[in-house]
Amino acid sequence: MKITIRRILAASAAAAALLIAAACGGGSSDTASTATQAAGPTGASATTAASAAAGDGHYKAGTYDVEGHYTNPAGPAKVDVQLTIDSAGTVESVKVTPEPTNPNSRQFQTQFAGGISSVVVGKKIDSLSVSKVAGSSLTGGGFNDAVKQIIGKAKA
Amino acid sequence: MPAAGAQWRFDGIGTEWQVDTAEPLGGEMRAQITALVERYDGDWSRFRPGTVVDALRAGPGRHRMPADAGPLIDVYDRLYRLTDGAMSAAVGDGLERLGYDAHYSLVPSGPARPAPIWDENRWDPPFLTTKEPFVLDVGAAGKGYLADQIADIVARDHAEFTIDGSGDLVRKGPAVTVALEHPLDPSLAIGTTELTGALCASAINRRAWGEGLHHLLDARTGIPVHGVLATWVWASDARTADALATALFFAPAERLRSEFDFRYALMTDDQRVHHDADLPAELFT
Repeated sequence: MKITIRRILAASAAAAALLIAAACGGGSSDTASTATQAAGPTGASATTAASAAAGDGHYKAGTYDVEGHYTNPAGPAKVDVQLTIDSAGTVESVKVTPEPTNPNSRQFQTQFAGGISSVVVGKKIDSLSVSKVAGSSLTGGGFNDAVKQIIGKAKA
Repeated sequence: MPAAGAQWRFDGIGTEWQVDTAEPLGGEMRAQITALVERYDGDWSRFRPGTVVDALRAGPGRHRMPADAGPLIDVYDRLYRLTDGAMSAAVGDGLERLGYDAHYSLVPSGPARPAPIWDENRWDPPFLTTKEPFVLDVGAAGKGYLADQIADIVARDHAEFTIDGSGDLVRKGPAVTVALEHPLDPSLAIGTTELTGALCASAINRRAWGEGLHHLLDARTGIPVHGVLATWVWASDARTADALATALFFAPAERLRSEFDFRYALMTDDQRVHHDADLPAELFT
């Protein structure tokens, strides 16, 4: 198991690589290829050691890639999360890229064999006549707090 | 939103809330809700000093829990058992051990570790006796439980209302139509439901990432669990719906059904949706 949190672009400094070795070994995939998707100045250097300029209180703006190799009850799985933080430490966006090719995911599905399995097609919420949205994307404050507590502390 | 009726918005426990009623909430009722939310945050927050969370973190012993702790501890006890120890309120430690420690060094800090064994704690209300310190995180059920308590207050004066805790919902009265947000794109819905009762969702998406970092660690290993992207749970109360929305990341619905009455839908990481045959919803398939 390995989680790599890598800041791939920064507003003003070389990106810091933050490696969290969680358990179980496993390779740390290079996520630098996603840098082209990230907002911010181009040409930022590749990874360097984390900045030693600790304590200035500013969050490093930039885009972070979080790659997790996980073990669920059916076996290993992987997810990529790209997270963009502005200079105030606010999360601007999170992009989750699941890895659906994992055959173990299909194995995992069999745990839900008691119900129905469907492929859904997303419809624009704006086009629907609804009064409420059930989901977890509206939890602004708590989410930002959590990220400030965790990744936001990757401050220089 | 319906043109008729009143909406009252406020911030609480780090998120935004809205209460919809036919007639505006009275000032006294608003004050009661505000006091409840403030008290609840002061009791349970991981981010505020002086809470019982601080005391549990500081050391083992006999800790007096908040007055409303019983139903929360009960649902965690049951789901700890039904997930074979994967879902635990003691999982806050896991993150800190992953390197998210008090100093937020975020440097490599060694392997993940299992959370302290939850059922080694002894619950003799109002005291929780612990054998080792741990970081309590009741987030998996806490927001829903607060929504229930707000609903209890509103119900004294209003027969029809909706409590919206940023996507976790309690509806009393005639059903309202609710969109089920696509976990990978908040502008999309995967379906709609006619809601009465409670509906809570959990997801590894934009806003849930912060929550996910807390709730989706497997307590047995300290490692995040994956395979499920998002869950929706319909139940009679939001505490149950909220807790089960997390539990479904760890255990199949059939197992949870042995002790809870609910309906569910979930999206696995290949974006297929699995759901009850009698789901009170229309999915866009």
